[in-house]
Amino acid sequence: MDVLNGLMQGFSIAFEPMNLLWCFVGVFLGTVVGVLPGLGPSATVALLLPLTLQMNPTAGIIMMSGIYYGAKYGGSTTSILLNVPGESASVVTCLDGFAMARNGRAGPALGIAAISSFIAGTVGVVLLMLVAPPIAQFALRFGPPEYFALMVLGLSMVVLLAGKSMVKALLSMLLGLWCATIGIDLFTDGARFTFGRIELMDGVNFVVVAIGTFAIGEVLANLGVQSSGQNFTVPKGLRNLLPNWQDMKDCRFAFLNGSIVGFFVGVLPGAGSTIASFVSYGIEKAVSRHPERFGTGAVEGVAAPEAANNSETGGALVPLLTLGIPGSGTTAILLAALILWGLKPGPLLIQDNPQMFWGLVASMYIGNVMLLILNLPLVPVFAQILRLPGYVLYPVILGISIIGVYSVDQTLLDVWLVVGFGVLGYVMRQLDYPAAPLILGLVLGDLMENAVRQSLMMSNGDISILYSRPLSATMLLFAAAILVGPLFRQINSWRLKVAEQES
Amino acid sequence: MSGWRSLDKSELVGALVLMAFGAYIVVEAWGWPYLTKDGPGPGFFPLWIGISMVGLSAALVALQLVDIKRGRPIHRNSWKDTGPVLAGCLALIVTAALLKPAGFVVSYVLLTIFLVRAVFRESWTAALTVALVSAAGFWVLFVKLLRVQLPAGPWGF
Repeated sequence: MDVLNGLMQGFSIAFEPMNLLWCFVGVFLGTVVGVLPGLGPSATVALLLPLTLQMNPTAGIIMMSGIYYGAKYGGSTTSILLNVPGESASVVTCLDGFAMARNGRAGPALGIAAISSFIAGTVGVVLLMLVAPPIAQFALRFGPPEYFALMVLGLSMVVLLAGKSMVKALLSMLLGLWCATIGIDLFTDGARFTFGRIELMDGVNFVVVAIGTFAIGEVLANLGVQSSGQNFTVPKGLRNLLPNWQDMKDCRFAFLNGSIVGFFVGVLPGAGSTIASFVSYGIEKAVSRHPERFGTGAVEGVAAPEAANNSETGGALVPLLTLGIPGSGTTAILLAALILWGLKPGPLLIQDNPQMFWGLVASMYIGNVMLLILNLPLVPVFAQILRLPGYVLYPVILGISIIGVYSVDQTLLDVWLVVGFGVLGYVMRQLDYPAAPLILGLVLGDLMENAVRQSLMMSNGDISILYSRPLSATMLLFAAAILVGPLFRQINSWRLKVAEQES
Repeated sequence: MSGWRSLDKSELVGALVLMAFGAYIVVEAWGWPYLTKDGPGPGFFPLWIGISMVGLSAALVALQLVDIKRGRPIHRNSWKDTGPVLAGCLALIVTAALLKPAGFVVSYVLLTIFLVRAVFRESWTAALTVALVSAAGFWVLFVKLLRVQLPAGPWGF
């Protein structure tokens, strides 16, 4: 009953004309800026934070969270249309989203991204509203061993991202894990693999590797084809530019899977939307009757990671609003904003400021509807980008890529690195090495190394701490099942072959 | 011996490069403490990454040799049409080198003109139009509207 009363109060606040306006401004600006690569949700929120400082806290947090989930939605657009992932969580969307664009289905891919973002965003808000306090307490039970197990579970997804060769996928992941070790070792202050460059002390930015291997690698591969004309087919007619009923039917499990995985991973501080999108994609592929379609333009391959990415927003707000703990770069900026507005983040935040909490929850419902209304009509407009001929499209992608990587840290070394990773991406493509495991290794490697080292410090070097706690043991068992699954399938197919020959 | 000759050259080179790179990681990691009194040291993770890389690269070659021995069809990578790709790589390297002295706008305009003319073999008019319109669009959107700092040449853009 408290929840219902709170929600009613929240809607009365969110429906105030000024709050509605700020919510719209937030989702609009978030979507527009989020479309640009390099400017992910945290950069977008930081960029637009000064706009909210003069507002009252409720209007401010409504606008900021609008920017947050608007930017998350915007990130999928360039992934689908140009194979340029604007943020780490969008890498998985590239796999099937860009393949759909190549198959002339960019419109349905963008439409499904919008619809799954809407559904998952709404599920995330419902869960935020209903289970925030108990879930936040549960998340606090996650210590370094549990994080280690979660990272192992994330890395085990390499099995599902592998193309024709598992060995190549593992090598690609190892390359990513190596990239994650570049920079200052936080435990000893020693530099690793920095080649004497100060710019590498903070490590290699994910955006550089993702844009290089995906976007520039793709452009280089297409230069080889030397096609000046239009490279993609964009069907005519609005009906063909939006998802059809079959697409929606195919995605029904993906919506649910992405929403739930995204929320629960989002609750864990530090885990982030990247692991949520990889895990939900992995689950989707694992349970699919036709896993071979993934990577070639399966609509569920877009719906699951996009849902996870957006549901994670609701999850990430749980530790922030209930405990005052920011779980990601973006929520850290939101925490700073709460303090700047004069609020005290912590366990008493909701109790002391119910109008702010419930106003935010209600505005997130409204914001999700606004995002859908704003983005679905834009799908046919965005899809027209693919009508551009190759000699226009590819230089523009290269320009966006250079700007995207340079805008992150304003260092020219990143431009050199993106060119290097672009060549690497092209060679990997030619040799059939999948690029997604490289990104998976890079994003999770650092977190995993820290979790292992912290765990072993806690146990004075006793390795059993990594698998003896119930939560970590459960996740490690799941990871083991995912890793050995293909092996069993292989053995079974050999067994069947032998049996066939004998008969 | 015939198995080695049947291997796809680019696959073999790729595996050998990764093997050499793995060995380099092992050598570097060897110089850092493997274990400290508090647990794994900075050399712990890289060492295992390097060892795994060497092992898996060797496994990759071995698996292909097994395939050849069993008479399974070998996938051959196509390296046709690499001329435009090399030209594109070279153009990107030159662009990266020009960013500091010439700024983003000029470097990007030159890159685009080169790609449209030399790689896509379109007319000068098309090359100049694409280069100038997209460069102006980027400059207005990123520099003027979003205040993104891009490398500027002596002429201020």
